[in-house]
Amino acid sequence: MTTLTQLEAADFINRSFKPLPRAYGDALVEAALGDQRIVTLCADLVPPTETDRFRDELPERFHNVGIAEANMIGLAGGMARSGEIPFCHSFCAFITKRVLDQITMQAAYPNLPVKIVGFLPGIATLLGVSHQAIEDIAIMRAVPNMAIFEPSGPEYHAAMVQLALEWDGPAYLRMKRPETTPTAFTPMPLEIGKGVVRREGTDITIISAGLCVHESLNAAELLSQKGIESRVIDMASIKPIDVDLIIESAIKTKAVITAENHSVIGGLGSAVAEVLMDEGIGIPFKRIGIQDQFCEGGTTPYLMRKFGIDADAITRAATAVIQRKKSK
Amino acid sequence: MDDRIRKLELTAARIRRNVLDICRQRGGYAAQGVALADIASVLYFDEMRADGNGWFHDRFVLSNGHDAIMTYGALAESGHYKMEDLRTINEDGGWVDQSPIEGQLGFEITAGSLGQGPSQSAGLAWALRHRGSDARVYCLFSDGELQEGNVWEGVMFAAHQKLSNLCYIVDNNDMQASGHASNVMNVEPVHDKFAAFGLHSIRISGTDIAELIDAFAQARSVTDKPSVLICDTRLWDGIDCLQEALPMAHYTAKTAVDWDAGLAEIGSVIAALEGVVG
Repeated sequence: MTTLTQLEAADFINRSFKPLPRAYGDALVEAALGDQRIVTLCADLVPPTETDRFRDELPERFHNVGIAEANMIGLAGGMARSGEIPFCHSFCAFITKRVLDQITMQAAYPNLPVKIVGFLPGIATLLGVSHQAIEDIAIMRAVPNMAIFEPSGPEYHAAMVQLALEWDGPAYLRMKRPETTPTAFTPMPLEIGKGVVRREGTDITIISAGLCVHESLNAAELLSQKGIESRVIDMASIKPIDVDLIIESAIKTKAVITAENHSVIGGLGSAVAEVLMDEGIGIPFKRIGIQDQFCEGGTTPYLMRKFGIDADAITRAATAVIQRKKSK
Repeated sequence: MDDRIRKLELTAARIRRNVLDICRQRGGYAAQGVALADIASVLYFDEMRADGNGWFHDRFVLSNGHDAIMTYGALAESGHYKMEDLRTINEDGGWVDQSPIEGQLGFEITAGSLGQGPSQSAGLAWALRHRGSDARVYCLFSDGELQEGNVWEGVMFAAHQKLSNLCYIVDNNDMQASGHASNVMNVEPVHDKFAAFGLHSIRISGTDIAELIDAFAQARSVTDKPSVLICDTRLWDGIDCLQEALPMAHYTAKTAVDWDAGLAEIGSVIAALEGVVG
């Protein structure tokens, strides 16, 4: 196994010049060793998308297409029509917004197994608005046939590859590369269309995904100190979403908030609201997310605090929603 | 002419110093900023005309956001930026961004998503001509960006519209995030490609002041088509002691190079030129 070189390590995400584990990249290689149809494409950003090991170990099935995202999706569509399962890689902002028409016409409409893998989810980048994807879930959720999966941590990265392969069509993986070496973890399973109950509680349900799951769990601890017990759901399968779990949780806790590293328009919060409204469930509800504004570059904890998607913001929202529940 | 060249060489050396000074704070695209210093010197201090209000009559569009370090280095030298501000680059809550947003002095567009400058500068050049302005438009982009189809769509429009007020500058440094462009996705022959698209194509080193002055003058003399200056720069051009420092690195980490050695070398270049320039 080739290790990440120092030179490659120091770019975009990992600026430590030290190799980091790459749970996603390793899982992709493992899957490809067992399935000859898997092909990897990348638009220049090889180490930042953890595809360097695939490049080094399976070069005959790897294409660095250069800085050419639209071409990458077209190539993937052609390969998929011939029986391959292409995994395409770039940053979330570029692999969704830049190439939406190519995705719809060359992957989604023909319902081909083109897997669209983005890194730098939401606001989590130093590089500012050009590299931030705060509307990608809203866009991709509206595309028919498209599934969307987002891991809450490296322990779910291997499951992301599995879900993408189990979904018989185009899928969008919204990945976050660890910025530092994560503590030891056991890979955790996920299922298509299923949320994971990460914490039990009866006063309120916090439905979250990606980076905000950890913040939601921290918020649940803060709330618990005030006597509020939260059920925290990791909705890694954003589409298809776990309708049954949302309904069951809403009936059980009679208050729901959502928290996401994305605009409040069209993302996980909107998806949950749609489920509740369709079911006629009118309960205190609040969406935590980016408030319909462009952001800026910065370190991830700073940005999560500034734009109101950290544990404190979730705690405040939960407290307010609990008040509404009590006064009902 | 010799004095003009020496002065611009001195300015270029000072831009290199500024780039190192800024990048040593938290890392950055130092190798590109250093390599582009001669282009920046001629562009900002010789070629682009002043507007009489402390800014430029001609327009500069930066397509690749990370080369902002070149603009920072140059506009610190012109006094438009203070070095103490630029040293705060990438601080949380700060306003000096590695990939700047429009509205910040010197940046016409929000770059960072690559390959979008050629179209926007062509639109700007067309509109300026349409409104009777004699302002010229300069747009810098990198060879890696040539991999984006969007670049060639913009170039095609510029040629079709005979936008002779538009001058593209290609930082043809054969380097992109994942390695040498010639290995990742070859973009050569760049000169022939632009010529085939109908541009007046000039290929130069990009690090020779006299050559740059001539190339910009030649571009200005063309009246029926846009021009492109293809500059075969190499990372760290102009600072010998950093040549071997991680030549593959697209982004330079704070700890990756000996900043003091680089600053010492460029300091002696500046001192020598200051002795020649009156």
